[in-house]
Amino acid sequence: MRKKVFTVLLILATSVMLFSTGQKEEEGSYSLPDDVKSGGTVTFWHAMSGSKTAIVDGYAEEFMSLHPEIKVEAVYSGSYAETVTKGLAAIKAGKPPVLLMSYEVGTQTMLDSGAIIPIYTLNKGEIDFNDVTAPIANYYSVNGKLNSMPFNSSTAMLYYNKDMFRAAGLDPDVPPKTFEEVYEYSKKIMDAGHARGGISFGWPAWIFEQMHAYHNKFYANNDNGRNGNRASEVLFNGELGVKILTEWQKWAKAGVLSYGGRTYKANDPFIAGEFAMLVQSTSSLAGILKSADFEVGTAFLPKMPGYEKGNSVIGGASIWLLKGHSDEVNAAAWEFLQYLFEEKNAVAWHKATGYFPVNKRAYGKLTDEGWFNKEPRFRTAFDQILGGSNSKAASGALLGNFVEIRDIMGAAIEDVVVNMKDPKTILDAAKVKCDRVLSDYISTAE
Amino acid sequence: MQTKFKSSKWLPYLLLSPSVIIVFIFFIIPSSESLYYSFFRQNITGTRKLFVGFENFTRLFMDPEYIDSLIRSFLFTVIVVVFGLTISLGIAMIANKKLRFFNMYRTLLIWPYALSPAITGMIWALMFNPTIGVASNLLNNIFGISFNYINNSTHAMIFICVAAIWKMLGYNIIFFLSGLQNVPPEILEASIIDGANAWRRFRTILLPLISPTTFFLIIMNTLYAFFQQFGLLHVVTEGGPGRATDLLVYKLYRDGFISMNTGYASAQSIILLLIVAAVTFIQFKSSEKSVFYGT
Repeated sequence: MRKKVFTVLLILATSVMLFSTGQKEEEGSYSLPDDVKSGGTVTFWHAMSGSKTAIVDGYAEEFMSLHPEIKVEAVYSGSYAETVTKGLAAIKAGKPPVLLMSYEVGTQTMLDSGAIIPIYTLNKGEIDFNDVTAPIANYYSVNGKLNSMPFNSSTAMLYYNKDMFRAAGLDPDVPPKTFEEVYEYSKKIMDAGHARGGISFGWPAWIFEQMHAYHNKFYANNDNGRNGNRASEVLFNGELGVKILTEWQKWAKAGVLSYGGRTYKANDPFIAGEFAMLVQSTSSLAGILKSADFEVGTAFLPKMPGYEKGNSVIGGASIWLLKGHSDEVNAAAWEFLQYLFEEKNAVAWHKATGYFPVNKRAYGKLTDEGWFNKEPRFRTAFDQILGGSNSKAASGALLGNFVEIRDIMGAAIEDVVVNMKDPKTILDAAKVKCDRVLSDYISTAE
Repeated sequence: MQTKFKSSKWLPYLLLSPSVIIVFIFFIIPSSESLYYSFFRQNITGTRKLFVGFENFTRLFMDPEYIDSLIRSFLFTVIVVVFGLTISLGIAMIANKKLRFFNMYRTLLIWPYALSPAITGMIWALMFNPTIGVASNLLNNIFGISFNYINNSTHAMIFICVAAIWKMLGYNIIFFLSGLQNVPPEILEASIIDGANAWRRFRTILLPLISPTTFFLIIMNTLYAFFQQFGLLHVVTEGGPGRATDLLVYKLYRDGFISMNTGYASAQSIILLLIVAAVTFIQFKSSEKSVFYGT
């Protein structure tokens, strides 16, 4: 009997522990403290992993040597989604960092959070916002004003393995321009036994968004949430959305689409030569060039005929200034943001990663020094984005709680290309979920 | 000899207080807060709250994703408990010989348990990485199976089951071993003399005599399978592909921390609480008859 009681107690104690670790963090309402929570330090939470962490740290160090009175603490905080959610949790807890990197899908959420200081209010002419590269300014401007500082901006493009193209008898300088050509070329390469698959995507849900903008179609109503009203409904289950996923499913069934997971997981198999093409963020360019032991080609995103030409959407992230710190700290943070925006830093960042230089003058400088002629692959995304439309549909969507919508779409796309479910059914179901996310969001937004 | 012991009315309360305080801080308070939040819908920074009554709960049970996740979690738990315990008991029986280096084996066997779930996930994800994984390449070269947990839902589910079972193996084996070693050898000897074969000895003597251990392990493994898979899932599949490996704990995480739906996630944690209470209650009720606690 005593043993039994002991067992019961042990189990109770263990379950208590299990529950307490699984328990969600709950915080009271957010009050805005005026005092300096950071102790005068400019804390900067970012999501730049791997070699990019070192570059960001380098910026912080150089900045501090130029401004010995300011202390900048750059902290790698995990993936984009993790950084945003950590930041929001810190805001809830009343201990926000000074600067928070948020990827593009966090834009509307950050705007509505009530916890940010729009950077245009800090600008006393130190930065000419007309110097911000146009498509980037378009994406991050809301009602014509920049609320956050663009830092790492990218878009999607097509990477391909030129050696494989050559081996399969394809012209390595003529990448596929249409969905049909992607299929056809992949088949050729696979039939000749040069690769297991034809193509894969990084950030599949993002590529799905890109495809809407690229074919000049709205992803959400109220002009993608950009006409002054918040988007309340997604439009991706229309004819174009269904067509895209139907195509992708056809590719997947034929083994042409070798689904590689979300974010950057598909980069490794591409580098290992498992498939010939990859649609991925331009931010992977430097990394892929460094690791691939074959000749890498870059090209515009493939298109489907019969649609207007839109544009690829800006991705990546921008840096937000959060409330809750002293004026001195805010001024120091603004100083740091100016430093990051400087021509030479924008140039170095672009060269080291493949992200766009956010500063127009940096673009001019790169052109002048012949960088783009020497490294034409770094120009592809520029040509793509500067040659595209500036319409609202092509600027990408601003959605409330876009982080959740991305996740819903990530799973929906996997259901189509991995679990082979019917595209229309899946998109309709995803629309119901996403619309509810939007209506929930609007119902609690201030 | 009897020592004089002055009993105080307060002593029992004093002695109980540490655990009561811990239970209160880590269990009662957060649970009641969860209960409270489950009736609200909040904005992302928690500055605005809307009272929504039972809407979070009704939504939950009308959400096919949640129902699927519920069924999946039960299935997963059954698989982990049944296979995990069977395999561990088998290994424990083999190890329960008068082996040399017994202590060393025992230490080695418990190693996997010392790993955090996330590390377990990393190890397995690396071994079975579809491109560079040693194990996936072996599977491909020897058996011609192209194992890919990223683009095959069945593979993904098998994968997390195997990894979860493996992690708990050491713990189970150690408990089974000590259970087996407590079985009085004279009973076994007597049964051998009476001509009982190995299977019969196992079924009618060993199994009943280790039933307290088994019972304890069933509960521990159930709780483990239900609640401790977050690290593994987060590192390996993130609930995908699609929602193929989306167990209740992971859904709760996604809704609570990625989507920041505090109310909806709180409702889920309340349901989880009820589930674990129910499971434990049923197990105690049904085992009262079949567990033999000795004298």
